[in-house]
Amino acid sequence: MTGTIGLLRFMLRRERRGLPWWLLGATALLYVQSLQSQKLYGTAEALANLRRTIGGNSAVIAMSGPTPLLQSIGGEIVFEIFAFVAIVVALMSMFLVGRQTRGDEEAGRAELIRSVRVGRRAPTAAALLLAVVADANAGFLVFCAATLTGLPADGSLLLGLAVIATGLVFAALTAVAAQLFENVRAVYGAVGFLLGAAYALRAAGDTGNGALSWLSPIGWGQRTFPYAGDRWWPLLIPLVVSALLVMLAAALLDRRDFGAGLVPSRPGRSTASPALGNAFGLAWRLQRTALVSWVCGLALLGAGYGSVANSIEQYVEDNPEIMQFLPGGGRSVLDAYLALTLGLSALVAAAYGVTSVLRLHAEETSGRAEPVLATRTSRLAWLAGHLSVALAGTALALAAIGGGLGLAYALTVSDPSQVPRLAGAALTYLPAVWLIAAVAVLTVGWKPRAAAAVSWIAVAYCVVVGLFAESFDLPGWAQRASPFAHTPQVPLEPLSVTPLLTIGLVAAVLTTAGYAGLRRRDIGP
Amino acid sequence: MATGPAISISVLSKSFGPVQALDRLDLTVPAGEVHGFLGPNGSGKTTTIRVLLGLLRADAGEVTLLGRDPWRDAVALHGRLAYVPGDVTLWPGITGGEVIDFLGRMRGGLDRRRRDRLLEMFDLDPSRKARTYSKGNRQKVALIAGLASDAPLLLLDEPTSGLDPLMESVFQQCIQDMRQDGRTVLLSSHILAEVEALCDRVSIIRLGRRVETGTLAELRHLTRTSITVETSEPLTGITGLAGVHDAVLEDHRARFDVDTARLDEVVRRLAPLGVRSLTSTPPTLEEMFLRHYGDEATPS
Repeated sequence: MTGTIGLLRFMLRRERRGLPWWLLGATALLYVQSLQSQKLYGTAEALANLRRTIGGNSAVIAMSGPTPLLQSIGGEIVFEIFAFVAIVVALMSMFLVGRQTRGDEEAGRAELIRSVRVGRRAPTAAALLLAVVADANAGFLVFCAATLTGLPADGSLLLGLAVIATGLVFAALTAVAAQLFENVRAVYGAVGFLLGAAYALRAAGDTGNGALSWLSPIGWGQRTFPYAGDRWWPLLIPLVVSALLVMLAAALLDRRDFGAGLVPSRPGRSTASPALGNAFGLAWRLQRTALVSWVCGLALLGAGYGSVANSIEQYVEDNPEIMQFLPGGGRSVLDAYLALTLGLSALVAAAYGVTSVLRLHAEETSGRAEPVLATRTSRLAWLAGHLSVALAGTALALAAIGGGLGLAYALTVSDPSQVPRLAGAALTYLPAVWLIAAVAVLTVGWKPRAAAAVSWIAVAYCVVVGLFAESFDLPGWAQRASPFAHTPQVPLEPLSVTPLLTIGLVAAVLTTAGYAGLRRRDIGP
Repeated sequence: MATGPAISISVLSKSFGPVQALDRLDLTVPAGEVHGFLGPNGSGKTTTIRVLLGLLRADAGEVTLLGRDPWRDAVALHGRLAYVPGDVTLWPGITGGEVIDFLGRMRGGLDRRRRDRLLEMFDLDPSRKARTYSKGNRQKVALIAGLASDAPLLLLDEPTSGLDPLMESVFQQCIQDMRQDGRTVLLSSHILAEVEALCDRVSIIRLGRRVETGTLAELRHLTRTSITVETSEPLTGITGLAGVHDAVLEDHRARFDVDTARLDEVVRRLAPLGVRSLTSTPPTLEEMFLRHYGDEATPS
């Protein structure tokens, strides 16, 4: 363990840029939810209405948490947001521990560290301490956000501790996974799978008799029931489990060679498949895993929204304040809800489009574009290869959103025609999503160094305009700058082709301009 | 096409912001020649090769590759050249065998027999994912991908960094074979033994400018030969001769360096003194290198 504290300081320094954003994200989730819930359900009557509506709606319970939380307004907030705060903190812990242990070992940096006066267990111990520091900060900030928005201190303290405890379990799980796998992506894959399983188990438990929720770290946190009974003893479970996992990680660490894992990496093909013979084949090969993950995630997101669509009218009747969040002034509550959720998910699809286009930039800066462009692959083919994945991938992502939404809704109302209807409706957003991807192409072509920043600002801008245009009282021109504002909100509004064609045309012009830049400039890391 | 030089660069300049990477560089490589491209780190070797690949656009100067402009005709030219970078990054999830096949196909096809023979010669397991390769193995992947092609021109940018001596000799054998086949090779390197063993001619670049070019014999002409001599008559007047440096004299023995160009005069002067023994050591490229980079005196 020699050198642990020195390493911890070094790790804090390395993480100083990213960490604040994770903490801010977790805190903001709770803060916004707290304000919104207190506004909507602040009265005892509104809360009673909500209990009645949600008590019998298993879709909402599956997405949120156990119903006993709904006894108080604070509990309602925890009910709605705890799982998501827990996911953010769990991911933060996973990335911190994974990057600082197996990530460094795989990259060879850990070798330098281990060659100096540093014990074998020190890097893992320091990474875990780093996660403890980060989780403690997250818990403290959540506590502050809760008390600042007027929630009782006792429950807020319990909530903060529950957040910390969930983070610790995933930090410890990552430490174990880092001993098992030889590369950090496999570590993230395994821990991410367990995080998904934790969410699914508590969903199954909360809608059933509750037994399965006790197998989930997220369930442990929720079942402390902050503000709704304040049970302290369930905190012991994650603490004991984390301690056991850390001991397991240490035992595995002592038994393995540096750089090795207990799961050996499998050999792959010794010759390339015929598909890997041009720029398209390469781009597809490099991006397929990410594409499949995004499409599955977005289909699930759509299904989540779709599963509650049928009860939305009853919900709005019980909680008329919610009307102000729906577009169209409540002409058709159901269509307004479907249009709203499609629009929100389309923003996520735009984010996927940007990650896909930015792959070009990553290939270039890592030096991997160079050997490809030193073959008969033209810059146009190289661009077209990655861009085709981005364009087709975003179309697939939107279809998955609409398909998931439609399927879940179709199952609740026994109307299969909803699947093609909503999948088609989702594709209305394709030109807008392509336009954001085209912004990324433009910046990769002309200002590669600023590409990531500019593209993400474009996405963030559309999100802000889409979600908060009214709350921030943005001027009309600022709203009109977002392509999503010009996209007809089907199924609430009728489909009109002209704006879609215009957006598509702008996207085509930006893409062509991006290629013109790429053709002229130097390529290199 | 084969009439002109394979590579012709004149007064090529390239700067990155305030950094002048290439400063009026000249370089000519006739077809069929193995040309050594020597220089210390940061002297502009890689920038030159990237300009030749059409990845960087020249600020000024004329560059032709196989008679064509590498910026305008990059894609057509890339079908006729193979490139091996010195600092190889690969796609972590793709196997070495797949990378070799992919780059070969993208270059316009690859000879499977030669590929398999090279895999065997370089002792590389093609079924491992690139993330599990060591630096040397990543280098082998890029080398095999390049050497498996039958392109008439090879651009090799420090291709043996990270290879062990055994693999280094396999590489040298491959380049000898290419010379036999009449292919042109531009070999950027700072491993002098490799250049001495392989190259017909050498260009030395420093701070973005060429400082020497020629055959090894011609370049040696510009350097000093070390002489140790023992004579029957006492040695006098040696120190004063033009071209003699660092002389250490005892009455019948002397050790000194002499400018190779003045070797003849010095030997004539020694002959009447009754030479009993004489050893001369030809200058190595190492010494040439040290003369160019070791001291600040830039030849001009």
